[in-house]
Amino acid sequence: MLQVSAEARDIVPPARSRVLTRTLRRHPGIARLAAIAALFVLWEIAARYWVDPMFLSPPSRVIGSLAAVFRTNGVPAALQITFWELAVAFVISVASGLAIGLAVGLSRFSRVSFMPIILLLYGTPQITILPLFILYFGIGPASKIAFGVSHGIFPIIVTIVAGVQNIKPILLTSARSMGASKWQIFRWVIFPHMIPSFFAGMRLGMTGVLLGVLLAELYVSTAGIGYFTTLFTQNFDPTKLLGLISVLAAMAIVLNEIVRRAEVHFGRWRAE
Amino acid sequence: MTSSDVAVRIRDVSHHFGEEGETHYVRALLDTSLDICRGELLCLIGPSGCGKSTLLNVVGGLLRPTAGSVHVGNTPVRGPLPREIAFVFQENALFPWSTVLENVVLGMVFQGVPRGEREQRARRALEAVGLADFAQHYPGQLSGGMRQRAALARALSLETQILLMDEPFGALDEQTRMILGEDLSVLLARTEKTIVFVTHSLGEAVFLADRVAVFSARPGAIKEIISVDEPHPRRPDFVTTEKFGALRNRLYTLLHDEIRKAVVESGQGARTVASHS
Amino acid sequence: MRRKGSTRDRLLSRLVQVAFVGVLLTLWYLATAKWGVSHLLLPNPVRVYDELKDVLGSGEFIPDLRVTLTELAIAFALSSISGVTLGYLLSRSQYAIRVFEPLLAGVYSIPIILFLPLYVLFFGLGPASKIALGTTISFFPIVLNTIAGFGYVDRIYIVAARAMGASDYQLFRWVLLPAALPVILTGLRMGFIVALLSILGSETIASLAGLGHRIVHLAEAMETARMFAYIAFVVVIAASLNVIVTMLEARGRR
Repeated sequence: MLQVSAEARDIVPPARSRVLTRTLRRHPGIARLAAIAALFVLWEIAARYWVDPMFLSPPSRVIGSLAAVFRTNGVPAALQITFWELAVAFVISVASGLAIGLAVGLSRFSRVSFMPIILLLYGTPQITILPLFILYFGIGPASKIAFGVSHGIFPIIVTIVAGVQNIKPILLTSARSMGASKWQIFRWVIFPHMIPSFFAGMRLGMTGVLLGVLLAELYVSTAGIGYFTTLFTQNFDPTKLLGLISVLAAMAIVLNEIVRRAEVHFGRWRAE
Repeated sequence: MTSSDVAVRIRDVSHHFGEEGETHYVRALLDTSLDICRGELLCLIGPSGCGKSTLLNVVGGLLRPTAGSVHVGNTPVRGPLPREIAFVFQENALFPWSTVLENVVLGMVFQGVPRGEREQRARRALEAVGLADFAQHYPGQLSGGMRQRAALARALSLETQILLMDEPFGALDEQTRMILGEDLSVLLARTEKTIVFVTHSLGEAVFLADRVAVFSARPGAIKEIISVDEPHPRRPDFVTTEKFGALRNRLYTLLHDEIRKAVVESGQGARTVASHS
Repeated sequence: MRRKGSTRDRLLSRLVQVAFVGVLLTLWYLATAKWGVSHLLLPNPVRVYDELKDVLGSGEFIPDLRVTLTELAIAFALSSISGVTLGYLLSRSQYAIRVFEPLLAGVYSIPIILFLPLYVLFFGLGPASKIALGTTISFFPIVLNTIAGFGYVDRIYIVAARAMGASDYQLFRWVLLPAALPVILTGLRMGFIVALLSILGSETIASLAGLGHRIVHLAEAMETARMFAYIAFVVVIAASLNVIVTMLEARGRR
């Protein structure tokens, strides 16, 4: 690498650095927090002075009324139901995704036969058949779970098939040369090799499940969180709506982070 | 050398990367002074990390030294001087998204050559390096040797007084290097450019250069300057003569200990700066 | 990979795929025609086909298609212009990249569809809320890819151009832009697809017009056969758009 590149800024004499700029330069995280804080300040000002309070609420009020949101009749229960829908959808996606992924991935023939079909289904815009899901599964939690599974299962299948498929043949050869049986090869070579892909798939699956369940909730809901988003919208209550959305966003972030950490932890042996 | 014969005047140049106390603090050059004569081909040779590429970048205005000054004629060097200095880098710096001809023309676009002259000069330069038939090819379609010829053509078309070459043949195999070296010598005998050429190869230095500046290990300073008194263009069989052998041996003796020192140093401690100097 | 019998394997796989689809279609037909599954739940495939012909022939789909495509065009235009511009500006400083890129990636990781009720509150049920959501969601892959494209151009090219005397404009026009273009085009393709999906989604959830709304309307009216026809139509439109943008991306990468 050309050394010059790092020091190309030496072409222009460097500005005299003061302690503040030096600290900011060394800790981009602080600058990031400052940027986020600036955004919140902008939001606060805009909501207070520029925008009709019917449409936008300042963060100070949103945070202040979070307690009121939770006290609203049915909201905690709705959050619980939504969370439960997410959990069930995720578990089903993972279990079936794993089963189907292994079934398709372990045999070269079934992979070549079925992967095109799976990829085709993965690529279709599933949102168009959301009304069908409601038609078949009703307006209760079942349709939300089903739609969540429908979004979450495909990335899991695809990543597991890839994980099983791209194992280096030399590893299989050396296992076989040491006399391993088919089961042993699976248990001690293929399965451990596939685990990082599995966790990567779970991360994508979680994103899919979140999308599917939330889409279905927003479409129609009698007891889940979608009911209240509709209610707050129709009542022109941006404060409570923003509060609820923030809680849901936080839930999404936490769930995503859990799966991501799991992926990092279990994928440790994969050198970057 | 009278003062009008001096093309580049380097005075007490030192350079370090990073700040003292930081892990990536490196003293690359120490109090280097040198006069480069007009029309000569000067080689800079030395162990890895000795600062020869750093000095080249300082001369070319790509790097501001932490101490010292460089003058090209009477002008102090404070940044790139595209009308006086052209570069050929070791790494391929041809733009992969443009054809060979477009690459050469682009150099002139940047320098500010009037539109009417560009294509003619480009084609002349490509012919001079033997790539006339490959003008419409993309760099990805050419071999390493041909790519460096194209880079040389681009530099030549800029018609600068000074040419700086940073291990231009470093990534090529021995045989290609030999051919390119001979061709370079022929080419440069025709022009009167001042050339500074960084290399690792002892044979290349003796074959091409009028003078060879030998660097010590990091922090680099010029240990000795050897003259090669042989007219250009160098005959290919120059490498078989006793004179060549003697010069090469002298370089070897001067360099061997420095190379050892550089290897030992790079094995110890954290050196995060790139391994070529 | 085994050589012998591979053509035979491929043919066999093809056969399995065809058989799979064939069995599904057969089951579908039997379920509605012979086994008495309610046509309100699962319409007869023949009827779906007839409805589709009617929809296409009568041109009934045109106003909804126009609404959806207009929303898509405006949303994508807004997100691509702002995304590429902001991406380029941020890419000029390595420090800015380090500060803002994780922020942008982080926001993109949450389901932004959550903000739809807010947009509906703000913009109403008309096309504006769909465009706003489509723009918001498709902004992110575009800006992130633009940052990646411009921010990670191999420095040797920049150094060489500067050494030859390139001005800021020349550097951008002849070095940065062509170097970054493939990555940016990928981002634009992703942004387009994501915009389409978000718009269809928001039309499904809360809208008065557009293809997504039409499907919902038919579902509520229990006109299941016609709904199936529209679903098939939308899937084909989406797939065609997908193919077109993928080809454009490949063409742009030359």
